[in-house]
Amino acid sequence: MTVGRQAADETTTPARGWGLNTWDSPWLNFKFLLGVAIVLVILLFGLLGPLFWDTDLAYTGAGPLNKPPVWEEEGLPEHPLGTESNGRDMLAQLILATPSSLKVGFLAAIIGMGIGMALGSVAGYVGGWWDHVIRTISDSAITIPALVVLVVIASYVQMTDTTAMALILAAFAWPGPTRLVRSQILTLRERSYVRMAHLSGAPALEIMFVEMLPNMLPWLAASLTGGISAAILGATGLEVLGLGPTRVPSLGLIINQATTNAALVRGLVWWWLPPIIILMVIFVGFFLMTIGLDEIANPRIRQFSSSRRERIAAGEAPSVEHVDGGVAARRDAALEVDDLHVHYFTPRGEVIAANGVNFNVRRGEILGLVGESGCGKTTVAMAILQVVQPPGRIVQGAVRIEEQDLVSLSGRELREVRWRDLALVPQGAMNSLNPVTPVREQMADAILAHENIGRAALEQRILGLLNDVGLPERVIDMYPHELSGGMKQRVCIAMSIALNPQVIIADEPTSALDVVVQRVVAQTLLEVKERLGVSMVMIGHDMGLQAQLVDRIAVMYAGNLVEVAPVESAFSEPLHPYTQLLIESIPSIRERKPLNVTEGLTHDLRNPPPGCIFQFRCQHVEQICRERRPDLVEREDDHLVACWLYEPERHALIELEEA
Amino acid sequence: MRGLTKEYVLQRFLMYLLTIWLGSTLIFVIPRLAPGDPVSEMVGRLSLDAGYIENADKLIESWKARFGLDAPIHVQYFRYWGNVFRLNFGYSLSHFPTEAWTMVRDALPWSLGLLTVATVLSFSIGVTIGSLMGWRRTPRWLQLILPSSLTFTAIPYFMFGIMLIYLVAFELDWLPATGAYSRRVDPGWNLPFIKNVLTHAILPVVSIVLTSMGGWALGMRGLMISVNNEDYFLLAQVKGLSPTRIFFRYGVRNAILPALTALALGLGGLISGSILVEFIFAYPGTGYTLYQAIISQDYTVTQAIANLIILVTATSVFLLDLLYPFIDPRITYKRNMR
Ligand code: SF4
Repeated sequence: MTVGRQAADETTTPARGWGLNTWDSPWLNFKFLLGVAIVLVILLFGLLGPLFWDTDLAYTGAGPLNKPPVWEEEGLPEHPLGTESNGRDMLAQLILATPSSLKVGFLAAIIGMGIGMALGSVAGYVGGWWDHVIRTISDSAITIPALVVLVVIASYVQMTDTTAMALILAAFAWPGPTRLVRSQILTLRERSYVRMAHLSGAPALEIMFVEMLPNMLPWLAASLTGGISAAILGATGLEVLGLGPTRVPSLGLIINQATTNAALVRGLVWWWLPPIIILMVIFVGFFLMTIGLDEIANPRIRQFSSSRRERIAAGEAPSVEHVDGGVAARRDAALEVDDLHVHYFTPRGEVIAANGVNFNVRRGEILGLVGESGCGKTTVAMAILQVVQPPGRIVQGAVRIEEQDLVSLSGRELREVRWRDLALVPQGAMNSLNPVTPVREQMADAILAHENIGRAALEQRILGLLNDVGLPERVIDMYPHELSGGMKQRVCIAMSIALNPQVIIADEPTSALDVVVQRVVAQTLLEVKERLGVSMVMIGHDMGLQAQLVDRIAVMYAGNLVEVAPVESAFSEPLHPYTQLLIESIPSIRERKPLNVTEGLTHDLRNPPPGCIFQFRCQHVEQICRERRPDLVEREDDHLVACWLYEPERHALIELEEA
Repeated sequence: MRGLTKEYVLQRFLMYLLTIWLGSTLIFVIPRLAPGDPVSEMVGRLSLDAGYIENADKLIESWKARFGLDAPIHVQYFRYWGNVFRLNFGYSLSHFPTEAWTMVRDALPWSLGLLTVATVLSFSIGVTIGSLMGWRRTPRWLQLILPSSLTFTAIPYFMFGIMLIYLVAFELDWLPATGAYSRRVDPGWNLPFIKNVLTHAILPVVSIVLTSMGGWALGMRGLMISVNNEDYFLLAQVKGLSPTRIFFRYGVRNAILPALTALALGLGGLISGSILVEFIFAYPGTGYTLYQAIISQDYTVTQAIANLIILVTATSVFLLDLLYPFIDPRITYKRNMR
């Protein structure tokens, strides 16, 4: 099913190359930029301060003792932030201390990151024994309380300058980045575009830098900013305990001197508060950068917050235009999809994923819905089930079962209809079962959500269902990871028939399974359908499989239905040029290649061309195709097609318009 | 293969030993890698404080012999390990007749109590907030309020602690600023004492909880959002389950697993942070004792505490690891999961 993923694929493309210079670049994240600005301001304060203020005043005896800042009564203009118990000027101390705290943080984190990247790449790329050793050591190193070890070390080693301290801190900064880089490489290796690069024979280093690094960059940056603040925290911690370098002023040292001189009790607020404020601002800056980078790295978090904002702006209620009523429901239809429009509201514009989709599923039939990936077939399935994921939304249309429009149902009513009348067999079933609960519980909760039955009856029912799909009884107590792909899929089928629904949506039920298992699963589906007389929508891209299973076939292209026909006539006599292309490509499908007949979509789904959506790929394109969109019209018996070729009057139509 | 398998326990136990070994070895090795040797450093610092020490060289020699630092390094290392195993760290240098181990033992309950309460509170509050923030059905007013709980997230515990002491203890005089209990109550299992201990613990606990719960909340929010996009989460909706059931059984139930891993990995950091909290609040736990030992150059107590803290951290992580397979049935099945 992978709806989330599919939606994400439709709206975000993997980063390739660096692409930092566009205005809709994710790097223009408000939190991230604010964080950068804050840290820059603090840095400038430290770097430019010595130009404007005499930093010699930072040393003992340079001024009167314990003077408050200038805005208080006893304050002196020559010590604007006051002085402490040794007569040192606070402003001068802060100016000197700030850059040294930042320097320690940067240095330690960058060294740690360097080590982490090296070790992580080795672990992720080379794998095997190396991976094992590196992972074990970094995993255990990460749990060692760093400050304890640091404190002990610092008690022996008098740290004379900040560089020494940064080096020691770096010893604790590498395990985090190591873990991160390793897991990122392992994840990215599985992504299709990286695999593709591998297959095309690109050298490992090039893949690393061109395909992987840009995608890892936000994660690495987040880890770096996190590391910097951790290192600053470590350094400050040592300084506060009086274990850092004591000759160089540092923010932690000022706090240490203030607390050991009882500045809190004596009310010398200007002594201990300013360094804390500066540190807090630094930490807030890095924190903002880190969470901003998290959002950049994880488009889902971004989508989640933006979709929420959108929903709040647009009001919670789905603004659906109802075309309901007046349309006479066809007596023999188990499911009616009526003028369905689904749009994804992405930051880059409105993606039209389903554009006025219209079809019926008759009682007891299997309707196949086919098209290449990205054509909107999964979106239609999700819209039927009322689970279109934000930023997508049904903007218009109706989905009727027993003359009840699901789109207009409220939460509770919808819950009652779900599964009782309309069930789902998800795609591949790889991730459709909750990995941490046994099969029993997942089947039981579907039943219990709709019926009140006792324990024993429930158990009998579940065992019966498992039996129906040819699974042994022991499966009831197994966890998904203990089942094979085919078994998982059959559990899903058993689950889908638990309540004897009117309609089952099967979303590419056999994809991701191997050929033999595919046949078993398809067979199971057919048997179930025959026995229960259930109606089914079978979504898929495997034309060969569709030919064997379905009664009628509906072909989708770029969000539009282009042809709906009984399976025999669709295969023997395809009308739409796109369907013809699909059928010609069947031999390659026998070799189990994905449906990828041509170069894919040729237009931007955000703004479809006027006229026929297939015009850029069609060999028969005519003038009218570029101007007017063809309607889905019944051209032969029960055979609908949306193409001007079958409109004898087309020339007249266009002339009429011109006149 | 479910629950605890022999292989898994063994693997985790080896990790446990490795962590302890790594931590203790770091403590042993790094000071010796540094230029100069610890005893000369110590004497040097003493002479800085005292102005001048007669026969400094002899002093250094005798101290080295006293601590066994004149032996070759591998002999020192084995001796060190023997001592760590027997929890024999010798006498405290600053409180002479007391054994280092006794001092550590007295401090431990305070730290354990403080940290357990603070960690449990901050983790559970943070996870609850994060789960609600990452759930699409959370009421809108709650969605608007929840982010305010992140206010103090970026601030290190101890800085927040200083400000709390200043505001709540000195300016408002509501709660005691430092210590674990007042001198005027008798330690023991009596009500006034327990009340006194609790009031003393409020500020340190609050400063840890308020500053650390936001981190858990943010992490949990991200995890919930990913679970929201999982196929099983969607199937649960399609099954017509009630939103609360989906939230708990399909959302939180799954998202909490990586959060628990993060807790195990983050314990070291938590404990590090608590040293500073104890220092600021003069709370007589291990962190504060460690600090005292270091400023009084009590070398034996320092080692004892550092090793103990490493041991306790590793043990907690180990226990969490042992708990994990009961919550996540996959863990012992697929190797190399974590
Ligand atoms: S309408 Fe025109 S462009 Fe579209 S498929 Fe038919 S012939 Fe081709």
